[in-house]
Amino acid sequence: MVRKELRDWSRDRRSIITVLISSLLAPGLIFFLFNSMANRQRSVEDVTIPVVGAANAPALVDWLRQQAGVTIADGPADPEEAVRTKREDVIVVIPQNFVKNFGASKPAQIRLIADSSSQNSRPKVQRVRGLLQRYNAEIGSLRLIARGISPAVATAVQIEDIEVSSSQQRAAQILGFIPLFVMISAFTGAMAISTDSTAGERERGSFEALLVNPAPRIAIAAGKWLAGSLTGMLTVLITAGLLFAMFKQLPLQDLGIRFRLGTPELIRTLSVVLPLCPLIVAIQMYVATFAKSFKEAQSYLSFLMMAQMVPGMMATMNTMPTQAWMYYVPWIGQQTLLTDVLGNKPISPVVFLIVGVVNMALAVAVLRGTSGLLQREKIIFGR
Amino acid sequence: MIRIENLHKRFGDVRAVDGVSFGAADGQVTGLLGPNGAGKTTTLRMLYTLMLPDEGQILVDGIDAVVDPQGARFAIGVLPDQSGLYPRLTAREHIEYFGELQGVTGADLRGRTDHLLKMLDMTAIADRRVAGFSHGERTKTALARAIVHNPKNVLLDEPTNGLDVMSTRAVREIIRRLKEEGHTVLFSSHVMQEVSALCDTIVVIARGRIVGSGSPDDLRRQTGQENLEDAFVALSGLEADLSTVAQSAKVEGMPS
Repeated sequence: MVRKELRDWSRDRRSIITVLISSLLAPGLIFFLFNSMANRQRSVEDVTIPVVGAANAPALVDWLRQQAGVTIADGPADPEEAVRTKREDVIVVIPQNFVKNFGASKPAQIRLIADSSSQNSRPKVQRVRGLLQRYNAEIGSLRLIARGISPAVATAVQIEDIEVSSSQQRAAQILGFIPLFVMISAFTGAMAISTDSTAGERERGSFEALLVNPAPRIAIAAGKWLAGSLTGMLTVLITAGLLFAMFKQLPLQDLGIRFRLGTPELIRTLSVVLPLCPLIVAIQMYVATFAKSFKEAQSYLSFLMMAQMVPGMMATMNTMPTQAWMYYVPWIGQQTLLTDVLGNKPISPVVFLIVGVVNMALAVAVLRGTSGLLQREKIIFGR
Repeated sequence: MIRIENLHKRFGDVRAVDGVSFGAADGQVTGLLGPNGAGKTTTLRMLYTLMLPDEGQILVDGIDAVVDPQGARFAIGVLPDQSGLYPRLTAREHIEYFGELQGVTGADLRGRTDHLLKMLDMTAIADRRVAGFSHGERTKTALARAIVHNPKNVLLDEPTNGLDVMSTRAVREIIRRLKEEGHTVLFSSHVMQEVSALCDTIVVIARGRIVGSGSPDDLRRQTGQENLEDAFVALSGLEADLSTVAQSAKVEGMPS
């Protein structure tokens, strides 16, 4: 039975394409996003700062020029207009009284013209501000030392800055979606067989002929279930494999992402998601058996897919502290476990084992239910 | 051999099968003849164990089909009214697949498959995907896959439904060959011609009840009719129905 369903499925060009697309979609999307973010970030490394009135603070300008990746350009005559019309992201304006105040050890004003509503320019603005503040700190320390005071005296409170720039946040968010993507691929990969082997049989009118054979109902249900699980797992393997292979290629350092996504993480991810596949298939089949046609089954299953995503989304939004019981509930458990895996949190193998067992046990229970459905006259004959 | 005793099946208020008893003798062709809605398909479905009777007993080669449906299934091969095929598989694959479901494997399976393909004149189309098959070719495939395990009893529900002349003759020929091979054939139909040509025994069913049974000659004698069609109409009480319709039409002022 497994052989037949698999053969039938593999002949369906449509279902192969679905598997390919759904397994490539997630990695492809992520690859694209990450690359574009990395590019944008890289472009911030080398920054050109337009300065108006550079002659007013030659020491500062020289110091800036010495910083890595900084080039000074001449600022336009209408700095505020230039920034407002987005000709420039940020402009530094050094007023004429700068030298006078600076020389007298009084706060010397520098104007930093920027548009804080523009997301794109934010990294650059922060960079420039950071540079200027560093200069400020350096000069400040020097002045204190010149007066015989240790600069440490002036630092009453030392704040360690954990820089979480906007693009890093975005990166972390995207990585948070990986568990979701992988589980969706498990769902869509199995969908073709789940629907075809149940609702499809009903639509084609082949259920009767099939069930007249002396093969026991549970064997028939199990055969279809196994075939579906295999395709689901195959899709997961491809998706996860591609995702991880791709991460090895990406310039993650440019985004300051420190986590490692190597083979051990891949294996752990797989051992979390693969046991979910049989359960997903069992439920898909149960639901699809009620459908009278292929299309009807597909709409039930799409609904099921949305339902599956809800706990995942809730988990990302309410970051509840992970309690032990959460691991064992299907879907939520997988989501939680995967987030832990990606965050490189150590997890005991016992957890994996129990999760696997729970999922399989549930799958078998649902499978029994489906096999029972196959006895019902309404299901076999109902049109 | 098939023996059916006092079968009842109700769908809500409708008594689809209302006390049906008959038998199909070994090595003979029995026809279940009746108008549409008479209960032929329902009876057959109970016989091939996919429906449970409300009352009554079904014995297939001595096996009680209600108590041991799986055992009964080993002894029957069925061509249901609706026998969908899998468009992406070839005819041979259909036969081998069902064969395995029926417990036939290995060399046995291959031998049986070849035999069936030959018997049904399907060797030319054996390895083509069924998606392109004509109605007749589909029927043959559906029939072949039903009897891979060489069951004693073969049940056919309206096998010539929708077939053209050539395919109908082919099915008739197949039924004859099955009888020659020693099978017990039971098929339902509302086509006089093939029932009279093929059947050793005819069971006439109407409105869920058996209204006559015997050989074609027996039935003609019983009803005193010259041909089978008239005998059938007499037995099934269709004439009475028609005249009732005509009477009520007169009352309502329509031309009769």
